[in-house]
Amino acid sequence: MPVLEVNRLQKAFGPVRAVEDISFSVEAGEVFTIIGPNGAGKTTTLEMIEGLVPPDSGDIRFGTLDWTRHGDRIKTEIGIQPQASAMFDLLTVEENLKLFASFYPKSRPAEEVLEMINLTDQRGRHVKKLSGGQQQRLAIGLAMINDPSIIFLDEPTTGLDPQARRNIWDIVLKLKEMGKTTILTTHYMEEAEKLSDRVCIVDQGKIVTMDTPAALIDRLTKEREVRLSFLDGEQAAIETERAAQAGSSVARTERDGTSLRLWSTKPEETLYELFGFTKDRGYRVEQISIREMSLEDVFIAFTGKEWRD
Amino acid sequence: MNGVKQLRMMFDAQLKMMFRDKQTWFWSLCFPIILMVIFMIIFGGNGSGSFSATVAVSQQAAGADQAGGTEPASGMLLEGIKQIPVFEFKDDNPVSLEQGREWVEKKDIDALIVLPASGDAGQIELIVNRQNEQSAGTQAISGILERFVQHANLAAAGAEPAFAMNMTSVTTAADDIRYEDFLLTGMIGLSIAQGGLFGMADLVDMRRRGLLKRMRMTPAKMGLFGLSGMLVRLMLGVIQVVVLALIGVYGFGANLHFNWASLAVAFLAGALVFNAMGYLFSSFSRTMEAYMGVANIFSMLMMFLSGIFFPVESLPEWLQPVPKILPLTYFVEGMRDGMIYAEGLFNASFWTGMGIMAVWGAVSFLLAAQLYKNKSIAATR
Repeated sequence: MPVLEVNRLQKAFGPVRAVEDISFSVEAGEVFTIIGPNGAGKTTTLEMIEGLVPPDSGDIRFGTLDWTRHGDRIKTEIGIQPQASAMFDLLTVEENLKLFASFYPKSRPAEEVLEMINLTDQRGRHVKKLSGGQQQRLAIGLAMINDPSIIFLDEPTTGLDPQARRNIWDIVLKLKEMGKTTILTTHYMEEAEKLSDRVCIVDQGKIVTMDTPAALIDRLTKEREVRLSFLDGEQAAIETERAAQAGSSVARTERDGTSLRLWSTKPEETLYELFGFTKDRGYRVEQISIREMSLEDVFIAFTGKEWRD
Repeated sequence: MNGVKQLRMMFDAQLKMMFRDKQTWFWSLCFPIILMVIFMIIFGGNGSGSFSATVAVSQQAAGADQAGGTEPASGMLLEGIKQIPVFEFKDDNPVSLEQGREWVEKKDIDALIVLPASGDAGQIELIVNRQNEQSAGTQAISGILERFVQHANLAAAGAEPAFAMNMTSVTTAADDIRYEDFLLTGMIGLSIAQGGLFGMADLVDMRRRGLLKRMRMTPAKMGLFGLSGMLVRLMLGVIQVVVLALIGVYGFGANLHFNWASLAVAFLAGALVFNAMGYLFSSFSRTMEAYMGVANIFSMLMMFLSGIFFPVESLPEWLQPVPKILPLTYFVEGMRDGMIYAEGLFNASFWTGMGIMAVWGAVSFLLAAQLYKNKSIAATR
């Protein structure tokens, strides 16, 4: 049984239809990621699920609980790290954790949370003296202080340097190990690919597609890009290009000096044929690669938009 | 119970935040102290609390030889003037007219008294620096001298004065109320009022930074959070009263006569009313700047129109109705009842004042609650 079910959500702010039709369900223990360009309706969707904004229509169920009847119960079962980190600046890390702990009927000991977010050494520092990454980790710590079964992380790594981002990924993976359900939004494709069990792409208030990262990429692999470069001058590249174009699975080719790019629906087969050709002619191949498809390609393919960080 | 624990944790947290915020200390303690000290120094008199003036005496030359030679006739006048206790003489003997004028010009003395050449009749002349012509000191000197002259005239005519005036100021408890006491209690009232008017800046800041929203994501009881904030501010108010009162009493010799019951009622009423007004300001201010602007306008207007520094009666006639509707007027009056007049609770004007304050408080609070609800301003980031 899913821990969260969202059914036909709609929300308009005046003339702006922020969320037009969003439905999905999340299973226990999953990392479920929502990606989409700015203004796609990600944050509005999250805020409706988090009980901050009432939807115009549609329903949200946490197992058997819903917001209208079980508001306080749901609040004790979920943990939220909002996009804008909101903490008490003049309190220390530990004081923030303990204050938030007092809001809940049950809570996880502050020491445990400090350990998980790796802020034990900074426990006595005032929040305003923490770095951006440390503040973000504390924000996640505050989201898990009540030992929730579902955690919402809204763009937890935006604006952080690569090392700080990796630290946050570690926390998300630890949460997954603990069997928590995580609902994540992000701007980084790499992050979605690395962390998520399932990805949901949202654009203009609607779900464009939703699946595991691997399956989404798989759906795109009609053509894969193959790159070759030659040691024996342009002539080798020109000849090989001609040979490739004769093959049935090659859709198109592009050549720039001694390097050649081609798009094939069956890259392994194409390469086998080409290697036979170059061996006969005695051309020496310097480099060869089949480009990995990423979620970025999925995104571009499904929304027709360039991805921008 | 969970509620009690939550309240305790919230109180604890807000207390720490208050103590760690340097701005709080400056605006709630340093600033009122500085303001009070300045006003005490400017308007509080010279510390001894009584008036005195430095003068010199000279004599009209009787068309004759040397000024300074005391002639017997006006010698009597001179002796009389010397009896006046508030006059200090720069030179015990009469000086030359030129010398006296020079002293006046240099402001070495407040006034030069020029006696007539003969003791029988003539003008007693008073020479003062033009810069000081309208000053209170000059008025006092001329008043004193005029009385003296009248006495001298009566004596010369051999008559006894038929009427005499005796002035006594009346208050219920203490007859030694001075400007210092008045100003001290005014400053205490003002700083508590400002604490309330400006204190809700935290709320605007919390809303701006998404903290209110963050708290709404938890099952935290926002009412308890508000209550704990109130308690912390009340504590700060008590600290303000104590510190300012100590400085007033030991630094400026203010005299306080307490009536604890009316002090407590006035203090609580004031704290609640001005916090409610701050809450109202916070309900329609989206930014910190907007909030500060509104709070400043209100506190400035009330500061000068509510009898903090000067009695309300000293305002021009047409302005008199304004202080009668301002809550600060009644708050400061209430605080004075509790701190200097030792006026008890059984006093109609005290309760009228409290009633008017209560109206302000209730209207502000209800309006604010409605605005918060309507605009659901708390939900916006």
